[in-house]
Amino acid sequence: MKFRGGHNILLQGRPEGMIKLMPEPEVLYLPLRSRRFSFGELCVEEGQQVNGGDVLARDLDNYSVPLLAPRAGRVRLTEREGHIVLEDVARLAEHAEIDDEDLPHIAQEMGASGIKRYRLLTLGAWQFFYDAYSGSLPDPLGRPQAIIVSTLSLEPFLARGDAQLHNRLLNFTRGLEQLQSLLEYQPIYLVMPDIKSEFANLIRNHIRGYASVKMVSIPLTYPYDDFSILARRLGLKRSEGPVWSVRTEGVLAVDRALTLSKPCLVRIISIGGTGVNYSTHISVMPGYPIQRIRDKYIFEPVSRIINGGILTGERLGPEALGLDTECRGLTVLPELQDREFLGFIRPGWDRSCYAACYLSSLRDKFRERLSTGLHGEGRPCVSCNFCEDVCPAGITPHLIHKYLYRDLIEEAEQARVDLCIECGLCSYVCPSKIDLRSQIIDSKVLIAKEKEEIRKEQLRQEELRKQEEARKQAEENSK
Amino acid sequence: MKQLLKIIEAIRPTFDEGGKLGILKPVFGALEHFFFAPSDTTIGAPHIRDPLDLKRFMSMVIISVVPCAFAAFYFFGWRFLAMVIVSYASGLAVEALFAMVRKEGINEGFFVTGILFPLILPPGTPLWMVGLGVAFGVFIGKELFGGTGRNVFNPALVGRCFLALAYPKAMSASYMKPSHDLLGCLLFKWLPPGTGVDAVTVATPLSVAKGGEYCSLSHLLFGSVSGSAGETSAILIILGGVFLLLTRVANWRTVVSILGSFLLLAGILHHGQPERFGPIMWHLCAGGLLFGTFFMATDPVTGPTTNSGKWLYGIIIGSVTVLIRNFTGYVEGVTFAILLGNITAPILDEIVFKVRLRRLASEE
Repeated sequence: MKFRGGHNILLQGRPEGMIKLMPEPEVLYLPLRSRRFSFGELCVEEGQQVNGGDVLARDLDNYSVPLLAPRAGRVRLTEREGHIVLEDVARLAEHAEIDDEDLPHIAQEMGASGIKRYRLLTLGAWQFFYDAYSGSLPDPLGRPQAIIVSTLSLEPFLARGDAQLHNRLLNFTRGLEQLQSLLEYQPIYLVMPDIKSEFANLIRNHIRGYASVKMVSIPLTYPYDDFSILARRLGLKRSEGPVWSVRTEGVLAVDRALTLSKPCLVRIISIGGTGVNYSTHISVMPGYPIQRIRDKYIFEPVSRIINGGILTGERLGPEALGLDTECRGLTVLPELQDREFLGFIRPGWDRSCYAACYLSSLRDKFRERLSTGLHGEGRPCVSCNFCEDVCPAGITPHLIHKYLYRDLIEEAEQARVDLCIECGLCSYVCPSKIDLRSQIIDSKVLIAKEKEEIRKEQLRQEELRKQEEARKQAEENSK
Repeated sequence: MKQLLKIIEAIRPTFDEGGKLGILKPVFGALEHFFFAPSDTTIGAPHIRDPLDLKRFMSMVIISVVPCAFAAFYFFGWRFLAMVIVSYASGLAVEALFAMVRKEGINEGFFVTGILFPLILPPGTPLWMVGLGVAFGVFIGKELFGGTGRNVFNPALVGRCFLALAYPKAMSASYMKPSHDLLGCLLFKWLPPGTGVDAVTVATPLSVAKGGEYCSLSHLLFGSVSGSAGETSAILIILGGVFLLLTRVANWRTVVSILGSFLLLAGILHHGQPERFGPIMWHLCAGGLLFGTFFMATDPVTGPTTNSGKWLYGIIIGSVTVLIRNFTGYVEGVTFAILLGNITAPILDEIVFKVRLRRLASEE
């Protein structure tokens, strides 16, 4: 496969492959919002006692995805803004959410694969699925043209596939089988790194027997593991139906939900970055208090905690108390505070740069100790073309920036902002320090809004026309 | 350093909006950020940024022309330093004036123009002409279009073009014989020996070549020929140019396509009529071709942005240079060829984008 652009940013604090257990918490703070979900429909009452696996809330806009209680405890709804708080948390036997009485009824409606899909949804495994093109939650009852399973996470730093697969290889292959049983004949693409490691070979040997699983090897360059890039590179056309995509943790969750009928309550997330004293993976449940992770791992007094990777993650402010349900990793960066004297004429032996403008380009690749500094002033674009070279989607960020600067939304749309995968590399490399990523995202939102308005307007006109016709008809009839 | 930072903090209110010298804020800001990088941090994702900023980016160009500037000192004397100073002073004045009116920061782009401009002038150019030319180039060539990043033409070339058209005689009379001493003019000689203040008109290799006389290639490579201050030594230009390509500040595609198309066309001509058209390697090293290719045409702002556009752009510049040199009354065509290339750059980009969008649409 041929990829465009891409760039690996090496920085200190890559999590190692181990998985550490965190101590059981006493209180859980479950945020009601995460990147894709907003659990608006509450299903519990203040003070209610719940068991692990009970539904606390649902997101009605996203096929009623449930927010499951990770542990047994007492619900507090009003204590913290935007969170459901579980007090007196205890680990009890989880129970499956689906009542047996419901099953025949569902089976009648949706068939055997329908039950499985229903199970995935109610047991919390469906949250791990993405639509390859839009990144949103796919319709669980839809008919995908293919499933992409990625074992990679190339963004620094997110939970790595190999760390999660360790000791769980059987579960993974069983999960793939379960995934296959959801489909009729559509292929499953298993994305693997194109490196020769013992572990990768092990997986390859395990998968060899599965006819419908196709192996795809890709280079380890960010962001080639992005689902929409993969779907485009695999030649899956958007018009031919949705492409489901899922990562390692998703396949493991499918296995857990369908083979064991147990809800997926624990996640493996990474904790890394230059601001932590020990970068590793930790096994935690959603709602785990961030303060406890902070106490244990973070040593920089002034640091930024990022929910997700360094390039696309969101900043966690002091108002965020617990991990959300979609968290794949915490990255910690020290905030820049000092001003550098004559920074731009330093030789830069320890400063890695996309263009080879520092002495560091003479040495081997190394992991740099980066901070949140902007490293320069905002300037007009000089068309250096770095953003285009690095763009994996094949669009031209600086051109779109110029269009947006002049409010030419239509031209920006024609320049295919919709293809942007929001990987953040363009903003990263820009020597003029233009925030291309957020500008492009804003314009995407604006365009979507405009399209929605146009669609509404058309519907309204249609309605009016129909009314007019009906009125005429009535008049004629009365004559 | 801490002392300096304290001083800067102490006088900052004077230059803030509403302060006594509020109008000079861009100048103050430029000085402050020259000494101390700002401590701004990223707001959202991506949370880290590449350490390269525009100051460093432009410094790379300045570093890459340092060998050429030394060659200018060596061959044409320390008068060249005066030209550089005048160029910077005059151009910075225009730049700062516009920054104050626009209430923006002073852009680093000028630091490149300021050093490139004297390098492409004849070494004997009167200082007032240097000042006038650079002011014209920055004003008409850059600021009227909206400043760094928005200009269509290379400001240094606009300035040179202006001088060449407005004062043709004075310009062609300003070429000097280079110093042939071992130490050149490095030992603080104001002008090369044998050259008075009223410079003796010396023909450049290209104008001599019109008469069918070709100077030796080794002189062109070393640089001991008459010509614009920085363009004589081919070896040093290539040295600086390759450095610029390696740092990725200049794009190799432009360079390869200019030189490639130039060599191809010049080769065809030379093989067709060897007595009329000069040898190709000689043409490659003579005049401003190498300097223009490495330092002028690779200016990212005025060239096309797309990679395929850069190939076409280079072909236009390379072949137009051959045509001007060999078939018109002008002996040197690089300035005009690059300016012509600047004009076509937006169209080339437009064409490339059209093709690319069609390809992207077929991918989905």
